[in-house]
Amino acid sequence: MSLWRLEWLRLVRTPRALALAVVFLAIGLIEPVATRYASTLLSHASHGAVIRLPKPTPADALASYVSEAAIVGLIVLVVVAASALGFDSSPGLAAFFRTRVRSVWQLLAPRFAAYAVAGPLAYLLGTLAAWYETHLLIGALPVAGVFAGVLCGAVYLAFAVAVTALAASLARNTVASAGITLAILLALPLLADVRAISGWVPSALVGAPAELVAGAYQLPHYLPALGVAAVAGAVALALAARLLQTREI
Amino acid sequence: MTEGNGPVQFAAVRLDAAGPSHPLTHLLPALPAVIPILVLLLGLDVFCLVNLVRARSVRNAPKLAWAIVIVFVSAPLGAILYLFFGMDRSGGSGGSGGGTKTQPSRPAASPTHADPVRRVVRPVGAAPLALTTTDLTRDYGGTGLFHVDLSVPRGSIYGLVGLNGAGKTTLLSIIAGTRHPDRGSVSLAVDRRRVAVCPDVPEFDGWLTAAEVVDLARSLVAPAGHGQAEVAAALRTVGLADAASRRVGGLSRGMLQRLGLACALVGDPRLLILDEPTSALDPAGRADMLGLVAAMRGTRTVIFSSHILADVQRVADQVGILRDGRLLYEGSTRDLMDTYLTPSWLLRLADGVDPVAAALAGQPWVTKVELAEPDVLKVEATSIAAGERGIPVVIAGCGARQVSCEPAAADLESAFLALTGAGDPAGLTEGARP
Repeated sequence: MSLWRLEWLRLVRTPRALALAVVFLAIGLIEPVATRYASTLLSHASHGAVIRLPKPTPADALASYVSEAAIVGLIVLVVVAASALGFDSSPGLAAFFRTRVRSVWQLLAPRFAAYAVAGPLAYLLGTLAAWYETHLLIGALPVAGVFAGVLCGAVYLAFAVAVTALAASLARNTVASAGITLAILLALPLLADVRAISGWVPSALVGAPAELVAGAYQLPHYLPALGVAAVAGAVALALAARLLQTREI
Repeated sequence: MTEGNGPVQFAAVRLDAAGPSHPLTHLLPALPAVIPILVLLLGLDVFCLVNLVRARSVRNAPKLAWAIVIVFVSAPLGAILYLFFGMDRSGGSGGSGGGTKTQPSRPAASPTHADPVRRVVRPVGAAPLALTTTDLTRDYGGTGLFHVDLSVPRGSIYGLVGLNGAGKTTLLSIIAGTRHPDRGSVSLAVDRRRVAVCPDVPEFDGWLTAAEVVDLARSLVAPAGHGQAEVAAALRTVGLADAASRRVGGLSRGMLQRLGLACALVGDPRLLILDEPTSALDPAGRADMLGLVAAMRGTRTVIFSSHILADVQRVADQVGILRDGRLLYEGSTRDLMDTYLTPSWLLRLADGVDPVAAALAGQPWVTKVELAEPDVLKVEATSIAAGERGIPVVIAGCGARQVSCEPAAADLESAFLALTGAGDPAGLTEGARP
């Protein structure tokens, strides 16, 4: 039983993997339907008033999925990752692991990797579901744009997991770790208001999938944000390891 | 959107043109798109309901309440709530794990060749030191640990005793490396990787089986060549062989303490640190655990803290007494009792005790006389020699008939009280009382 297998078992024996898959899949299946029938549903909900919305485009449907996934899906991912990365949250469990590993990297690496892979996989699953629904109800999506968007979304989610690891090194409690992570991730778009750095902030990747399928930009437009997300994620992990290595239990 | 997008799209447009009707009517043409959603939501609800029915127990709320949440709370939220906060992950939904908390089997009586507890006993007297601490200090603002110089002989069973807050756990944590001293140092004569720690409340991931937990510990610290045989042997040694395939979440606290010891033993440690190892065990479990610890004498160095002095006295050959973060005494258990106990005897007489009690009370070498039982006096003297010489003389002088005269039981509790002057040893002596 290695620490890598432990993380695999943590994913499949607890609701973590199931919750990630279900949440992203549900968003992917529901959002295009909601987008397609938004005007109909709103008309019925408003007791007879006729509400006419512009006819949705395939990009609208994917944008709807992306915006929901970036909120609900991200919260679920951060919470499940925080509960796994907070290995100091219970003293007995911390004593078991900390007195048996040479370096905290042994603990951090598999836990980060598990959620940095599971999160993007769930995101891909949701994207495929949204693609299917969109194709059926509204129209075709450009293949290259969809996969370029998945790449951007996956890198952003991996960055979010790295930020979660950093938060777990600052707070022992899972709720506190998740809260710190979400506060950081929600604060990042504020930086994007500064025009000079807007293209470099990792949060620029959140809207990338919708913009790529709409043809607003091409993938090279997001390379600065991709690079910053990768470097910042690595720095966050290194900092987390340094803080965890010296933290007492 | 164009009409070239397919038949579903076309049908939806026609229905839109037909004017207001029931919302479901508008969704019917989109069935191919809706079916996956229904399958996902219904599938999740069915999965959760089946799990709920099969579960022997659930968390946070009764089964009926969870059924209502799953069915009536907006899908998939109700099901997800159940998955995270209601589902029992201790293996209680059937299978070999079972959900009831049962007692562990007795530890293996005679370990096999693969047993981590070796029963080779070596003399401790001239053994080199396994651990020393120098001027160890950790100040938590007046409490903590101050100037502790500990010397633990290799192969010894070292009992660390003290009142609550005396600094036992802080000292053990610093030795284990999970806390840092403000000043001073710890010198280990063994490889740090061969140091195992058992906290007083071991915790493990509840969805692992007992065997998986021990195997995980093995993979992290055990020497090369240790495999599943050592895992099974460690579980057998602590009496958990029958619970090997059970989820840890279903084990009692006493079984978790045993599992913690198994995790330590599977790494074949040279230094074993046990924090209150018997605190959650029943009398039989305590006896088993102390037997295991005693059997390690000579092959492993064991430091264990306990507030049950009878346990320390039973297995420890070396003892350290902490009070207010300072080491008051360190040495052999026997020397402690010899040095700090007041010499006392229990004197049983045949024909009443009053004349003898009065005569003894008048002797200058007698410090205290009290009635222990209706025909038994407890006599305390200034020295062993004075008592041994004086008591027979007083009895003879009174013409009393002596049935017996024996030294009062010398126990660690008495020595501890004499050394620390602790007026209220609450929590220290519970295990010593019948």
